[in-house]
Amino acid sequence: MFRTISDVQEKLSSQQYIASEEISTVVYLAQDLCKPILTEGPAGVGKTELAKAWSGALGFPLIRLQCYEGLDESKALYEWEYAKQMLYTQLLRDTLRDVLSEAKSLTEATARLAQEEDVFFSDKFLLPRPLLQALLSEEPVVLLIDEIDRADVEFEAFLLEVLSDFQVSIPEIGTITAIHQPMVVLTSNNTRDLSEALKRRCLYLFVDYPSLDAELDIVRLKVPNLKPELAKQAVEVVQQLRHMDLRKVPSISETLDWARALVSLNADSIDEETMRNTLTVLLKYEADVQRARRLLGGNGGGQSRGGRLGR
Amino acid sequence: MGEGKAGEVVLDDRIVEFIRGLRAAGVRVSLAESMDAMRATGIMGIGDKTRFRHSMRSTLIKEKEDFPVFDELFSLYFGGGGQPLQNAMEDLSPDEQEMLKAALSAMSGRLQQLLDWLTSGQGPTKEELEEMARRSGAQWANSPREARWVSRRMLRQLGFQHLEQQIGELVAHLQKMGMSQKSIEKLLGVVDANRESLADQIAQQVGLQVARERSERARDLHGTDLMHKPLQSLTEQEAELLRQEVRRLVAQVRSRAALRRKRGNIGKFDPKSTIRANQRYGGVPFEVKFKKQKLKPSLVLISDVSTSMRPVAEFMLRLIYELQDQVAKARSFAFNADMEEISVTLSGNRAADAVADILYNIPPGYYATDLGNSLATFFKEWSDTINGRTTVIILGDGRNNYNSPRIDLVKRLQQRAKRLIWFNPEHRQQWGTGDSDMLDYVPYCDEVYQVRNLAQLSTAVDQLLVMS
Repeated sequence: MFRTISDVQEKLSSQQYIASEEISTVVYLAQDLCKPILTEGPAGVGKTELAKAWSGALGFPLIRLQCYEGLDESKALYEWEYAKQMLYTQLLRDTLRDVLSEAKSLTEATARLAQEEDVFFSDKFLLPRPLLQALLSEEPVVLLIDEIDRADVEFEAFLLEVLSDFQVSIPEIGTITAIHQPMVVLTSNNTRDLSEALKRRCLYLFVDYPSLDAELDIVRLKVPNLKPELAKQAVEVVQQLRHMDLRKVPSISETLDWARALVSLNADSIDEETMRNTLTVLLKYEADVQRARRLLGGNGGGQSRGGRLGR
Repeated sequence: MGEGKAGEVVLDDRIVEFIRGLRAAGVRVSLAESMDAMRATGIMGIGDKTRFRHSMRSTLIKEKEDFPVFDELFSLYFGGGGQPLQNAMEDLSPDEQEMLKAALSAMSGRLQQLLDWLTSGQGPTKEELEEMARRSGAQWANSPREARWVSRRMLRQLGFQHLEQQIGELVAHLQKMGMSQKSIEKLLGVVDANRESLADQIAQQVGLQVARERSERARDLHGTDLMHKPLQSLTEQEAELLRQEVRRLVAQVRSRAALRRKRGNIGKFDPKSTIRANQRYGGVPFEVKFKKQKLKPSLVLISDVSTSMRPVAEFMLRLIYELQDQVAKARSFAFNADMEEISVTLSGNRAADAVADILYNIPPGYYATDLGNSLATFFKEWSDTINGRTTVIILGDGRNNYNSPRIDLVKRLQQRAKRLIWFNPEHRQQWGTGDSDMLDYVPYCDEVYQVRNLAQLSTAVDQLLVMS
């Protein structure tokens, strides 16, 4: 467990995650208030990374539930293992015959069988999915519910119960309460508004694109073999791109990809040719690439661009 | 110990008041969230202002859009009231102090008071500030912008605009009395710093007072009949209120649609995949499979954006694009004299911004609406957007300024699309009057809705998701 906010910051950075003051405060609060964190923000700013770093920092396992349209309880919570149940019935056929052979009537046989029913609906045949895994885990876990905005509204409502009480009821077995309350991180790319009820139960953390210095720190940390001068130049270009009117502006993950590309290309400086060859790493739409080339190249090539960025 | 408790109570009161201010500014904060904020403060303490701010924000604010309101109010309620004023007398020798006193008493009434504050370090008390703010009309102000205006007024009443001149006179007096240049400069430095602090204090006081006044006033949309007021006759302020309301409406429509889809999700029995799925159980049909039904409609929206139609078009676009996830595919076209596709602007941006953008970019036109011509263009350029699965919605008043209505094209549209639905903001009695061709269009529409106000519009959109 984290002891102080600076402890959060240190331990997260040991996981190669640079947490801002705000992020560490919210993580610390979430731990102390036992509340889930809802993180929102553009794609690729490290929302999912936060959960990974959190679990790494405390040495707790990470359980991840990736949401998608049509995700339902049987995929998220638990499922009965039909096949295993079938197999056991087949294998136990002889034993069953013994049990049932003494029965004189059909009613009696049914009653006997019903007595044994619990055997087939016990936790031996229960296939726990991420949510149940998180509740049943013997040690504390970090539960990452990724891209909750992609799941349906009904699933969100179901999730509410789990997140508020940290218990679920399985009709055949009863109510299962969490052994350790998991630390929950929900991420959303804001493709739709989440319900008020869900937001109310979470702490809210908006993660935005980092400032130039923060991003430079991240690049230095994650791509250490990129020359410092080049890293600075690269981050400046990215920051500039973010201010352009593009369909999809590059986020941190793209900056890192680009930095790695520059390393493997052994680039000395970001000149026009490197730019032309690698811009597609940063921008994912052809129209954006064209536009960026026009705007960045508009000042007469790489040299002067370098000068302009260097201010 | 006792004092600490009292301090906590004061702080808790402050937080409660702050939350009321947030609510009055349109942020929804629930009781549970207020309690979280209190608990968070308990854990975090208030020693570190940034951390206190972060903990309050993460517990109270759940949407990025509300951050600016939070930041503004936070600095008002917890800003600490600006820098305290400094005492200029301290640095002066007793002789010089006498000189300054004499020079000040030689100045005229009201302005003397201001200079007194600025030199003595004894600013106005809180009560005095409150009283002054009231006299400047703080109780009538409604928004941060108006609060700024009130504080400007207050500064003027205090004589800030004549201050330069006054200070000049004061300096002249002091020089005549023989105060050293060095002391005068020192004095001026303090006065300058104090002037800024006082302005800050005033801005903060007024802002706080306005925020408080606002939180006293109830501001609830449900009591009013704004939902039923014709969209075309909304004032800008009412429209703004309704825009906020759209999101709540959308949430309702969305959960209704989701429930409907969930209940209606079971399609026909699918023998093929049932057999395949149950192979592993030795052919015993444990799992029964059904064909999924495609229930999300695919929409083509053709919207009239002439000046008279603008308010309606705006709300329609907002509704449709806030509901993007309920729709398999939506393409939108806007027409005035001619047709234009606007889907690109809409996808990718937040609905509210996008709609504002579009309406800004399309020039308003008077008496230029021409659906006939626009439809001709539509068929020439984008006829492939319409197939047997698309629902076409035309949003318009059916007034073509006596241009050809091109009934034939509307008929063709209906034949090619799954359904053709018309949303008209005019009252039924007005259809067919003047240059309205509405009555000629009606026979070729599968459904016609009257959408005069937001209530009707949201019902119509809800129906659209039901039937499509």
